[in-house]
Amino acid sequence: MTSLLINALRRIHLSLPTQTAVKCFSTSSYNSNTLDITKKDWKFPPQYTKPREVWIENLDSIEEKKLGLFELHPAVYATVPRIDIIHQNVIWQRKFRWVSWAHTKTRAEVRGGGRKPWPQKGLGRARHGSIRSPLWRGGGIAHGPRSGKSHFFMLPFHLRIHGLTSTLSAKLAQDDLHVVRDLNLPSDEPNYIIDLIEQRNWGPSVLIVDDTDIAPRNLTAALDALPHVNVMPVYGLNVYSMLKHDTLVLTQSAAERIEERILCHLHSNTRKQQAAFKLDQV
Amino acid sequence: MERITSLLKVLWRPSTNFVRTRYHSEKTRIIKRYGYEEKLWSGGLMPRSLGKRLPMPEYRPLNPWTERRALFGQNDYIDILGSGELHPLRTLYTIPSWIKGVSGNEYQILLRKKKMFAKTGSPQVRPTKWKELEKRLGFLYRRLNRKTKTGFSST
Amino acid sequence: MGSRQITEKSLAMLRSLPRISLANLRDNPGAKKNTKRGRGQHGGDKHGAGNKGSGQRMNYMRLGYETGNNPFYLRMPHEPYYKGHHLRRQYPPLSLHALQSLIDKNCVDVTIPIDISTLVKSGFYNFFPDQKHFGVNLTDEGADIFAAKINIEVQWASEQVIAAVERNGGVITTAYYDPHSLFLLKDPKKFFQSGQAIPRRMIPPPDAIEYYTSAENRGYLADPEKISQERLKLSQKYGYTLPNLENEPQYTMLCERKDPRQIFYGLEPGWVVNLKDECILKPKDKELQDFYAS
Repeated sequence: MTSLLINALRRIHLSLPTQTAVKCFSTSSYNSNTLDITKKDWKFPPQYTKPREVWIENLDSIEEKKLGLFELHPAVYATVPRIDIIHQNVIWQRKFRWVSWAHTKTRAEVRGGGRKPWPQKGLGRARHGSIRSPLWRGGGIAHGPRSGKSHFFMLPFHLRIHGLTSTLSAKLAQDDLHVVRDLNLPSDEPNYIIDLIEQRNWGPSVLIVDDTDIAPRNLTAALDALPHVNVMPVYGLNVYSMLKHDTLVLTQSAAERIEERILCHLHSNTRKQQAAFKLDQV
Repeated sequence: MERITSLLKVLWRPSTNFVRTRYHSEKTRIIKRYGYEEKLWSGGLMPRSLGKRLPMPEYRPLNPWTERRALFGQNDYIDILGSGELHPLRTLYTIPSWIKGVSGNEYQILLRKKKMFAKTGSPQVRPTKWKELEKRLGFLYRRLNRKTKTGFSST
Repeated sequence: MGSRQITEKSLAMLRSLPRISLANLRDNPGAKKNTKRGRGQHGGDKHGAGNKGSGQRMNYMRLGYETGNNPFYLRMPHEPYYKGHHLRRQYPPLSLHALQSLIDKNCVDVTIPIDISTLVKSGFYNFFPDQKHFGVNLTDEGADIFAAKINIEVQWASEQVIAAVERNGGVITTAYYDPHSLFLLKDPKKFFQSGQAIPRRMIPPPDAIEYYTSAENRGYLADPEKISQERLKLSQKYGYTLPNLENEPQYTMLCERKDPRQIFYGLEPGWVVNLKDECILKPKDKELQDFYAS
């Protein structure tokens, strides 16, 4: 079956001019099996490496159907998967928002303790100057945490871009990135999604990314009961979430949008973004 | 018969050897830790609680998929993947403004806090807090200037 | 990608490895150096402060400080050459060589007049109006290889630079901008988003009027007749034939100048640029029109 399909595709490649979106009927035994093969008109053509081809899948049936072939830019979806840069990105995401509110009182702030508890000499007791000294029970804490400790730092702009591309590349290389045409589901049953994930051998947790802010109602209703399946807009995508979820599902438009944004930054003057972070810039 | 015995007693007196014997069972010992209940179980098997609650917290596994944890990190790349006008710091709505995006030691952060709160009603509304803030700032100023190594000092 | 195909190999290797997740990430070995002071039996012995004494207990004074004496480095009297330098106008330089490379790299469009906002937008020139920077000083480095025909407006230019630009059939003007106008020129988008009306450009301060009214400096307040005379004079002095501007195909572009009160090309003071609706709002009130026309 697959070999038939591949043969059909090869024939199409040879016979049709590139850079056009074509619709063709494969000669397989499936009736009405439409394959959509998109040859992209690149704004920044890939150099030295071939574009990565992915299947466009569907979400409207539990069984997987391949709706077409789609090209992804190798500068975004097939770069060097630098694990250390991914790690740095995750650390940055954890730290830049982290403010520690743990607080202890010092001996100066604990109430009382202004008087010398007993005379310095003559009692045979240890010398003490305050009942709130750190040695005392109920006294102040020496070197304790002080409230409002910030762990903020900004990871350099291009390291963050590289973090995104590395993670996307690793996900694609490990077959954890899938492209679907749209997010229309036939029903709003959570079981439908569970069955679909089970059937396609996607990990239990799935991150679905669309390029719009509003997801279809069937999807949101089904996902209400599934905390480990989440939807995000493209601008919400980040390294941490991609790694937390087992599988990343992009809609075709989302994949294009991510590619367009990252390529735009890779091919433009980013001096402003690369400049050292200043507090008054935001 | 009586005479014989008395005679024997006169003629033969067996030598007696006094042996001081003290048996273990006869020893009177000081009972140490009387009334002390051993908390550590030294018997067999595992301890049975016998109705009492064991001093161990109930195991509550962390739910890694609460809404906050599932969507942790959302919008952190909004300046790259979005339109480019919003900085990710702008999306951290829950962090107070005086510490959002600030990095520095305790003195620097407190200075900024004081500067930002001085214009508000905070000094009048929370005088003790304000006094402690100023006290801490003074302490840190002295400590940083007098006790820490800076600049040209080799050690 | 090199011939060793590192990317392809590493991606192929990832296919057979476990899924990358938050649980199995790590940095490169040895990448992180712990800056915490050591604790424990020998880890926290002296913390690099040496054994006892001054090393542990005192701070050394700053270099040159003599505990209250007038320090040696201040004892000699000196002539304050640069006294008040922070109050003077500064013009961060841009060389003709750098400008030529910008044009070669297509970072600057030569078919339209160039001003300081074009240079800033190219990303290779920057200035800070709040630090007494009053615009660009075009310097003569690379004057010999400069070969672009441009209509450029700078804030300061030497004679050689003027000659180098005019030899190629270009036009150069020196123009004064007050700091507020420079802020607008540096980041026009930020200003347009604020929704304010474009202000008038201020006239130069008294000590700069002479520079900007003289034809030798191609000042924007100079008499055009005199400027054309000076162009001829300069060509004779440096020995090049002055190309005739009237015969140029880009004559209209080369003749384009800003009004002395104008900040942006094509936008007059008093107008509001609405970026959201992509339209320009012009004042209709008589009083406003009179104000901005003055």
